[in-house]
Amino acid sequence: MKLNIEGLLVYFPYDYIYPEQYSYMLELKRTLDAKGHGVLEMPSGTGKTISLLSLIVAYQRAFPLEVTKLIYCSRTVPEIEKVVEELRKLMEFYTKETGESNNFLALALSSRKNLCIHPEVSSLRFGKEVDGKCHSLTASYVRAQHHSNPNLPVCRFYEEFDSVGRQVPLPAGIYNLDDLKAFGRRKGWCPYYLARYSILHANIVVYSYHYLLDPKIADLVSKELAKKSVVVFDEAHNIDNVCIDSMSVNITRRTLDRCQTNVDTLQNTIHKIKETDAAKLREEYRRLVEGLKEANVARETDIYLANPVLPDEILQEAVPGSIRTAEHFVGFMRRFLEYLKSRLRVQHVVQESAPQFLKDIFEKVCIDRKPLRFCAERLQSLLRTLEIADIADFSAVTLISNFATLVSTYSQGFTIIIEPFEDRTPTIANPVLHFSCMDPSIAIKPVFQRFQSVVITSGTLSPLDIYPRILDFRPVTMASFTMTLARTCLCPLIVGRGNDQVALSSKFETREDFAVIRNYGNLLLEMSAIVPDGIVAFFTSYVYMENIVASWYEQGILENIQRNKLIFIETQDAAETSMALEKYQEACENGRGAILLSVARGKVSEGIDFVHHYGRAVIMFGVPYVYTQSRILKARLEYLRDQFQIRENDFLTFDAMRHAAQCVGRAIRGKTDYGLMIFADKRYARADKRGKLPRWIQEHINDGSLNLTVDEAVQLSKHFLRQMAQPFRQEDQLGLSLLTLEQLESEDMLQKITQIAHQT
Amino acid sequence: MTSLSEEVLLVVKKVRQKKQDGTLYLMAERIAWGPEGKDRFTVSHLYADIRCQKISPDGKAKVQLQLVLHTGESTTFHFANESTALKDREAAKELLQQLLPKFKKKANKELEEKNRMLQEDPVLFQLYKDLVVSQVISAEEFWANRLGGINNTDPSPYNNKQEVGISGAFLADIRPQTDGCNGLRYNLTADIIESIFRTYPAVKQKYSENVPHNLTEKEFWTRFFQSHYFHRDRINTGTQDIFSECAKQDEKGLKTLVTQGVKNPLVDLQSLEDKTLDEGYGICTTQPSTSNANKSVKDSSNSAIIKRFNHHSAMVLAAGSRRGELASDQASETSSTDGNSRDSDFFQPPVKKVKLQEAIEFEDLQRENRPKTVPLNLKKSDRYAHGPVPLQSQQYTTSQDIINSVNYIRHEMASYKPSLTQVLSSTAATSAIAALSPGGVLMQGGAQQAINQMVPTEVQGELKHLYVAAGELLRHFWSCFPVNTLFLEEKVIKMKSNLERFQMTKLHPFKEKIQRQYLSTNLTGHLEEMLQTAYSKFQVWQTRRMMRKT
Repeated sequence: MKLNIEGLLVYFPYDYIYPEQYSYMLELKRTLDAKGHGVLEMPSGTGKTISLLSLIVAYQRAFPLEVTKLIYCSRTVPEIEKVVEELRKLMEFYTKETGESNNFLALALSSRKNLCIHPEVSSLRFGKEVDGKCHSLTASYVRAQHHSNPNLPVCRFYEEFDSVGRQVPLPAGIYNLDDLKAFGRRKGWCPYYLARYSILHANIVVYSYHYLLDPKIADLVSKELAKKSVVVFDEAHNIDNVCIDSMSVNITRRTLDRCQTNVDTLQNTIHKIKETDAAKLREEYRRLVEGLKEANVARETDIYLANPVLPDEILQEAVPGSIRTAEHFVGFMRRFLEYLKSRLRVQHVVQESAPQFLKDIFEKVCIDRKPLRFCAERLQSLLRTLEIADIADFSAVTLISNFATLVSTYSQGFTIIIEPFEDRTPTIANPVLHFSCMDPSIAIKPVFQRFQSVVITSGTLSPLDIYPRILDFRPVTMASFTMTLARTCLCPLIVGRGNDQVALSSKFETREDFAVIRNYGNLLLEMSAIVPDGIVAFFTSYVYMENIVASWYEQGILENIQRNKLIFIETQDAAETSMALEKYQEACENGRGAILLSVARGKVSEGIDFVHHYGRAVIMFGVPYVYTQSRILKARLEYLRDQFQIRENDFLTFDAMRHAAQCVGRAIRGKTDYGLMIFADKRYARADKRGKLPRWIQEHINDGSLNLTVDEAVQLSKHFLRQMAQPFRQEDQLGLSLLTLEQLESEDMLQKITQIAHQT
Repeated sequence: MTSLSEEVLLVVKKVRQKKQDGTLYLMAERIAWGPEGKDRFTVSHLYADIRCQKISPDGKAKVQLQLVLHTGESTTFHFANESTALKDREAAKELLQQLLPKFKKKANKELEEKNRMLQEDPVLFQLYKDLVVSQVISAEEFWANRLGGINNTDPSPYNNKQEVGISGAFLADIRPQTDGCNGLRYNLTADIIESIFRTYPAVKQKYSENVPHNLTEKEFWTRFFQSHYFHRDRINTGTQDIFSECAKQDEKGLKTLVTQGVKNPLVDLQSLEDKTLDEGYGICTTQPSTSNANKSVKDSSNSAIIKRFNHHSAMVLAAGSRRGELASDQASETSSTDGNSRDSDFFQPPVKKVKLQEAIEFEDLQRENRPKTVPLNLKKSDRYAHGPVPLQSQQYTTSQDIINSVNYIRHEMASYKPSLTQVLSSTAATSAIAALSPGGVLMQGGAQQAINQMVPTEVQGELKHLYVAAGELLRHFWSCFPVNTLFLEEKVIKMKSNLERFQMTKLHPFKEKIQRQYLSTNLTGHLEEMLQTAYSKFQVWQTRRMMRKT
């Protein structure tokens, strides 16, 4: 249908629309109009993606000069591919309606592992191996040597792309990862570099967060993207963790040992080159004197290890003299390495800030701040000069130099923690230096500064106001939309007591309590008897799950559950878990029914949907608090309190509740879907916990379902499931949670919609 | 009657039946008795017909064996050889004991089937009562072409029974009981053993390797209950245990399954992340426990439980679908071997495409493409159930047509303008209405249809039964034509006599009964007509046969 969103003609590729989709588009349009940032929460399964795409594409068509590009960031590869498929649907609708094929170019970009078509390289299993092998075939000096020595292998796909691929832009169309590969095969071009090249002039780019948030990659891939772009972070409830992860470094003794060998190799190579080709080193020195700016104008394939620091800050200056010659630099690295080694020899935990660290290093080994800052750049230049083919071997020294650059660049927002051993095993020495970022806004700041509109959206972003605070930006729109429902298809229940009135909780004091564990087992057992098909149960941590499973086994609870359903359990091995997941789905599919025991914050809870019969009930055993004893977390909490005035408990609860919401939200993936959401912990009943759940879940928790016993929950569930099993037709929804165009245009419906939207 | 080719399993001489001496023969499929000095059997029962055997109590003067048939009849044999009577009977009894169960299943199944058919189909039951119980035709005749129809037309439900899956908790069903003296007692049933074998082929293999040469069955299961299959938290250390090898095999099987990967890309956790952080970057929230050494025994037993539960569930699932999917599995096997190498992405996209499309679809946002249907809205459901039934097949209209025509009529009605100049004169209209009213000139014929009001329901019911029975008999009769075999010839003669018998025993009494009550109506006329047609046909056929013979 064709919609009128405040004067903008939007093509929407469906015959009907949900009211919340309309309000979502309205808010989104206002965000774009204001050229500001927005935070929008809408339950998953209400067609968030298609609403976003429809509106932004329409906006781009209407105002081609205002918004030139849409950068859509999602988390996982399947998500990325889903977005592109939805986009394809939209574009097909455009073609059908307007009768002309529009010249939109949209493509997905992923890592080499997912795009490579070179027969040898693509057969490697791990992403890092693929990257390394690719680099050894496409680095500029390899190619230069290939000219003189044709026996040297190069990648023919890259060569072909390099010689002809750049002249003709990728024809307009929608390219998913497989389409890119097919296109690459047809033309004999490298799909990866083709995609990286094409994102510069594409109208829509879909890729993973890291390409924008991780400065090491962002600098490489996304540097030249136009400022007049709209950036969308979908599934952004974890965006702060992604930011923090991309800026943090861990150094163990093993890293240092490997670094040592790297430095030795560098030294030897320099030595050799000095005898054979001293001119090369002199040339490098000359370049470095001239400044990094020129040095950095290198070919794209070389910039494999980009600077971890954000661009522009460092390139203004020249590399300081003390590390300009290759030998000096290697000596410098050696000294730095020795210093780190000495720091790791501590017997007790040390925590210090970056300035403290810099002061100490200056006093001990006379290393200045300035050369440290240039470490990463300098190493890159050296690796390039020495023509090191297999760059993956040098990951250790790269890590150290990145650490050096980071620690000397940021005086705030980071902390250094040196732990001589793991908490659980105090007798085994295993020193680790954590250089951890505590401020997610550091990584995302350039994104907010550079692009005119950044939209953060997800199904679970509650409480909304915390995201602008921890990411440090000022949104122009903030809205949370609920799911309008013709029938209440979700049933959140808070089970606080067992049948024997024992309070259920995963809190630390009662964690080992047999009564609690037994009652949890009873809950699962009873549910397995009444819920059809699939049940997913989440535990707060892997260790906790292991213990509970063992004790359920001893008490014979698992065997009783097996009478009703098959049991599958997430393990720490991803491949094993994938298999268990597939078997789980198979068991749900063939009607046998199954239970999946899984872990909140695990991969399953973040990336796998349990639509329809794959998840008729989700049980959340306990409140998934993060492991609070970790020093890194403590440091972060302290920082949040000092810097953003967020109380520790608030943040912890917020973090726990967003993960709980993520877990239970896995079961409802649309309005025709239905599922039970069982929160098995009495603490959920408290207002401070409950209030942090997304609105679309919260509004279905009534006072009657706050502190149930297992039996009561079973009764309510039975009733709910029986109701849900009745046929549900489109007509039932129409006019309430599903609108035709005429209905949407009617005056009172518009009023109703605005009413719903303004509840926030 | 004797078929010599039959294998004779046991011969017992001097057996009396109905006070006549004779010989009892137990053969492969039947038991038979023939009087002494004659070359034929006067008694012969298929084993399948025998419901049970009974013997006279020990110590009684007469040593007897009684066979009770499914039909309720019984035959008694008296073993009369003084010296060996008891031994003879024991031998016969033993043999029968072995033989009867084999046939019983078959017989029971047939009986069950017959029973079921009669229960499900009241008309058939009535027919059975009319024809068989009143001995118009024999039960065999009655079933001959019905069961035959079942057995021949769709044998599938009988030959391959539906595969029954395995309960996930079959191991839990073996509840150990203490036997009082420091031991445990496990009760195994044949079902459980089969479940174990089907779920764990490795155990089956071990069983066939070791039992009975190396171990007795009991020892085997004792070891099984000590193994990790039963105690999932046990970590296998003993190498002499026969099941430790199974553990290794299971492990291997699990590994191959894992390395094969998953077909659905949406659940593949390994390729979920687009770009993982390099080693050393990021915040490690969970401590990387790289060294296995610091894992306590408890930890590893916990993870063993988890692994084994996953394995168990996967095996149960596989056992349920194993047989049906053998063929298709092979097909997918070939493609999956290709699919393993990453270059052959050509194979992957179809699954992936389908899954992706499924994932992005909003079924409720799309207009339904099915042809529109009109919901059936019943105000009185009995009227629907007992409504008039069309006599001949009609041109059915689809719902769409109905909707269209309703729309059309509505449209017509909206634009309807009565042309008042061309209407009938009032007198003509009145006379037409009078003629069309009940009792009017044009409605005379309607009186005849009132038969259902004139005849009481019980008579109606009886008539209905007669019709059905007659129809059945006539069907048998007419199915004999053209008479081209000797068998059919016999049958047609038999059927004719059946028809006559039917007319005598059933039709005539009914007719008389009706005549006593309702002299005027001739309800049986049509039935008689039908029978008459059959008779005349028979007459024609018989005269023709006679002519041919002479």
